[in-house]
Amino acid sequence: MNHDWEITRRTALRGLGTALSLPLLNSMFPSLARAAAGPVGGAPVTPLRMAFIYVPNGKHMQDWTPATEGENFELPATLEPLHNVKNDFCVVTGLTQKTANANGDGPGDHARALASFLTGAQARKTHGADIRAGVSVDQVAANEVGRYTRFASLELGCDAGAQSGNCDSGYSCAYSSNISWKSESTPMAKEVNPKLAFERLFTNGRPGESAEARAKRDRYNMSVLDFVRDDAQSLRAKLGVTDQRKLDEYLTAVRELEVRIARADKGGISDAAASVTRPAGIPKDYGEHIRLMEDLMVLAFQGDVTRISTMVIANEGSNRSYSFIDVPEGHHDLSHHGSDKKKLEKIQKINRFHITQFAHLLERLKAIKEGEGTLLDNCMIVYGSGIGDGNAHNHDNLPILLAGGGAGTLKTGRHIKYENGTPLNNLYLEMLDRVGVKRDQLGDSTGRLPNLNG
Amino acid sequence: MRDRIFLAAFRPLAVAFIAASPWLPARADEPALKPVAATAPLPGFIKDVQPLLTKYCVACHQGEKAKGGLALEVFRDERGALSRRPVWERVAAQLESGAMPPDEKPQPSDDERALIMRWIEARVLHVDCSKVDPGRVTIRRLNKNEYNNTIRDLLGVDFKPAEDFPSDDVGYGFDHIGDVLSMPPVLLERYLAASDRIVDAAIMVPDPERAPLQIVKGRSLGSVGDVAGEFSFSRTGDYALRVRAWAQQAGPEKAKMTMRFDAQDMQTVDVIEVENEVGVYELKLHVPAGKHHFSARFINDYYKPDDPDPNNRDRNLIIERLEVQGPLGVLPENLPAPHTTLITCRPEEAANPTDCARTILRPFVTRAFRRPATDDEIERLARLVVLAAKEGDSFERGIQLALQAVLVSPHFLFRIEVDPEPLSPQAIRTINDYELATRLSYFLWSSTPDDELLRLAHLGTLRKEGNLPAQIQRMLKDPKAVALVDNFAAQWLQLGNLRLINPNKKQFPTFDEALRSAMEIETKLFFGAIIREDRSLLDFLDTDFTFVNERLATHYGLPGIKGEAFQRVTLATGVRGGLLGQASVLTTTSNPTRTSPVKRGKWVLENLLNAPPPPPPPNVPELKESGDQQADATLRQRMEKHRENPACAVCHTQMDALGFGLENYDPIGAWRTKDGAFDIDASGTLPGGATFGSPAELKAILKARDGEFRRCLTEKLLTYALGRGLEYYDKCTVDTIVNNVKANHDRFSVLVLEIVNSDAFQKRRGKRGDEP
Repeated sequence: MNHDWEITRRTALRGLGTALSLPLLNSMFPSLARAAAGPVGGAPVTPLRMAFIYVPNGKHMQDWTPATEGENFELPATLEPLHNVKNDFCVVTGLTQKTANANGDGPGDHARALASFLTGAQARKTHGADIRAGVSVDQVAANEVGRYTRFASLELGCDAGAQSGNCDSGYSCAYSSNISWKSESTPMAKEVNPKLAFERLFTNGRPGESAEARAKRDRYNMSVLDFVRDDAQSLRAKLGVTDQRKLDEYLTAVRELEVRIARADKGGISDAAASVTRPAGIPKDYGEHIRLMEDLMVLAFQGDVTRISTMVIANEGSNRSYSFIDVPEGHHDLSHHGSDKKKLEKIQKINRFHITQFAHLLERLKAIKEGEGTLLDNCMIVYGSGIGDGNAHNHDNLPILLAGGGAGTLKTGRHIKYENGTPLNNLYLEMLDRVGVKRDQLGDSTGRLPNLNG
Repeated sequence: MRDRIFLAAFRPLAVAFIAASPWLPARADEPALKPVAATAPLPGFIKDVQPLLTKYCVACHQGEKAKGGLALEVFRDERGALSRRPVWERVAAQLESGAMPPDEKPQPSDDERALIMRWIEARVLHVDCSKVDPGRVTIRRLNKNEYNNTIRDLLGVDFKPAEDFPSDDVGYGFDHIGDVLSMPPVLLERYLAASDRIVDAAIMVPDPERAPLQIVKGRSLGSVGDVAGEFSFSRTGDYALRVRAWAQQAGPEKAKMTMRFDAQDMQTVDVIEVENEVGVYELKLHVPAGKHHFSARFINDYYKPDDPDPNNRDRNLIIERLEVQGPLGVLPENLPAPHTTLITCRPEEAANPTDCARTILRPFVTRAFRRPATDDEIERLARLVVLAAKEGDSFERGIQLALQAVLVSPHFLFRIEVDPEPLSPQAIRTINDYELATRLSYFLWSSTPDDELLRLAHLGTLRKEGNLPAQIQRMLKDPKAVALVDNFAAQWLQLGNLRLINPNKKQFPTFDEALRSAMEIETKLFFGAIIREDRSLLDFLDTDFTFVNERLATHYGLPGIKGEAFQRVTLATGVRGGLLGQASVLTTTSNPTRTSPVKRGKWVLENLLNAPPPPPPPNVPELKESGDQQADATLRQRMEKHRENPACAVCHTQMDALGFGLENYDPIGAWRTKDGAFDIDASGTLPGGATFGSPAELKAILKARDGEFRRCLTEKLLTYALGRGLEYYDKCTVDTIVNNVKANHDRFSVLVLEIVNSDAFQKRRGKRGDEP
């Protein structure tokens, strides 16, 4: 009997990133060396990565928005934990996600906020039948850029989906717990367990398995996929439209899995990963959980295992209690602050806690050398919420940060102000341009954004 | 704000409308009371409705750029309008909530709104119960629980492989709704990986290296002679007989060795290895059980002491040892139980190995796909067994591979009901016995049909001779029926939230993990007892028993209960009893620092009375907290302030009253008579005038509203049983079930039986054009 699925009981790592020395990394990720050496299969010399980090329930906007525009702005209280990387990000104000508004659909701002954040599409109001949002920007990018890496994209989070109940005013919970949408009806489930995410990304085959045995297992898996694809195709022909949609999801998944198996680096990964301390499971400490997921994102970017990632720090409308920073109340309850000063202070505390974790991600990325600069220089990371003020449930003037140098295409260290109402998706079009994915339109975009290059 | 005040005035009509229309999409779980008496003549579309639409709506809702994708100018006559039912469901929801037209636009009068609503109700949403509409269920992927249970019951391996799967999204309050369960690539990846682990646990692949090994020590043979040993062969089977040897070579040929078995020469070999090398010479023999001799003989000694080369004078054979390993197959007593059940033949015993594979696969595929396997499926699977053989792997490995393909196939992962005419809404068909067995089994067990159900399905007698009621009784008594508690009850009562809630440690130091878990167990045992003892559904509202262990009994102030084990206790005082006296419900509906009469009231409306309140309008502040503990006013006084706002009062009058009736329970469900410095006042008046002064009196009032509760539970369990949201046409099904349940003393098994007998459960139809 084989036991490779049993939990490797080692201490959960803090700082997975630094646990790896560089030579080890190069053997672990041959593609890293390749990327530095020159283009492979049309890939850019230095890959440009894209990430989207979501936090729910809006912000205490007064403590978020810098007082002045341009460079040399003073960090507001909430953003203060980012002081070490102040020149590596922009605060972007004025961006708006109009499709998160009711537009005739009544209440449900939380569900719409997350469902529209990366799609710019009006989520169809339904408890379940005919779920529809739009294709999210990360998946638009993954659809093209994803072919260069083993994983087209990586979906991370810290909250599993809701287990019961009605999530938000007549919207299925699929909307308030998924940020990434592969098609307008297929949300990409996120991985919340760092142990499982690690195994998925960095191991291949079973521990101690020989290269031949692994290759044979891959061949067998391909045969299994051949079989089930035939099943799905002949079944699809017999079904009605709604059922066919499910089979289409299935067939897409089969294709992706085949590509992944075909692309799996036959050597090395499993053995090298074995020498890294693996996460043991979901840490009890929430901050540690967030940082671990961030570390995995860093590792995946560093090794060019993927170039696209999303991470939902907490599901939209989350009512998590933050007693560990002396805020025992639920986040969502608090966000309806009614301008109560004490509540606003507590919201600010939660916002700042989240930003502290974000600082960890940016500092990690910055600590890794890549080419002439750092890994952070070759990233574009959007951090934000689809709700401005939690009490008002507004979706304009959203709290958005844009971090990383975009491989020299983004001028950071500024507060950029756009006219309020500018579609958030205009920013995404700019980002797609930079990873070489040309689109004239994405969701409700109206054009591109000036001034990002400085 | 104007809109909300208007809504207050509009509300009585809206409530009446909702009451008659439990099937509005956004409010599919509303109660259906009595239809409103039609006092005015029926409005017509052309005469009454269209002019109003033109006047108030069409300016925005027309053409390609219609707001919200809702174009209203396109309907030329009533027939055309009626062909697009979902449009009117949306219009009704908007009108009812007062959200449309927006504040800044001209507003229709109350009478005008009422007119449109009456037309929608009478013409669009009217259901003719003499015409069956069973609806249609989207193919349902197994959710995590169903997958775990199915693997357990199919293969007998119970290690919850789905724990690693991403969580299933929730719709209509449940996590197994066909429309909501999607199949992202990561999930298929997990299915494939899980199948690998599952077949590995279920079937043992022979591994020669792990077979028992016997050794006889050898020696150096300087002249012709042998090393022999007697070995016991525990049973008839294949064995590997090996000699480990090398030679001091000399003369024209290599050292020769003959391997002998029971005094018979089997094979003679050249031993080519020299010092510091060891050759392994192996015979594979089929050996009958018993003691046998195995030996290795040196047959070509060579000795030339005068050879000028000192290294070419003497040939010797060095036998390091003799080994017998086997039997090489796995011993039957060491096989995992599922292996013995599945591997019903041996390839060497069958006419050919592929026949044997077919023999093994056919019954398995039938059970896994929950319908007879097709010849084509068996042939394609058998090819995988052949593939493994070509790769040099064993028969068992081949079967593993075929099983993996079954476990990743859409026929296994989805519950499929194929319609002959999937696009014809008129094509209503009774589902076949296999489909019925599957619906039944996933409803009551969250798992695959067992042999008994499949047997009846195979015979085509599941619906005959009283089999169905008998099967339901059998299934409800089976331990697997705990799935109804773990999946249905836990989601209906939102017990999952108990794990997320964190009462403030400073205020509630007695709350700990033991108490949290005891709360959940109490409610589950209570629900389980109602199923097992086939009790009245009304026991959920109030009854005289519950289950506690010492920890929970202390929390409740019940004396004399010792130990961690739960025991059934009779309740005398009316303080506990029924769901509303259980700490699980009371805790999940509280804030971390205080009770929330609003959340509790909302919970009662949503989960017991089938009347979920509409969500609050945005920008209405939550209750002002005035200091944490030392409030200068009671919670009740502060909330009364809140209700002075008429926009809030509409819903909060009822919601708050219900919640205040439970104020004697603190945020973790302990009994209290004071909150801080203030005495608890648990009195209240409900709309309609019913008054109460304590939780016990409130429960008595709820029990008198049994009709609403019966419908509430029926709609929730029907949603759960079908795996789809209820639609307007399900009203007929729900009415029938509710009436029959009431007539049969509200017994739980009657509710289940009535659901199973309903058209919605027994039949399906093709897709209607206006359905998504």
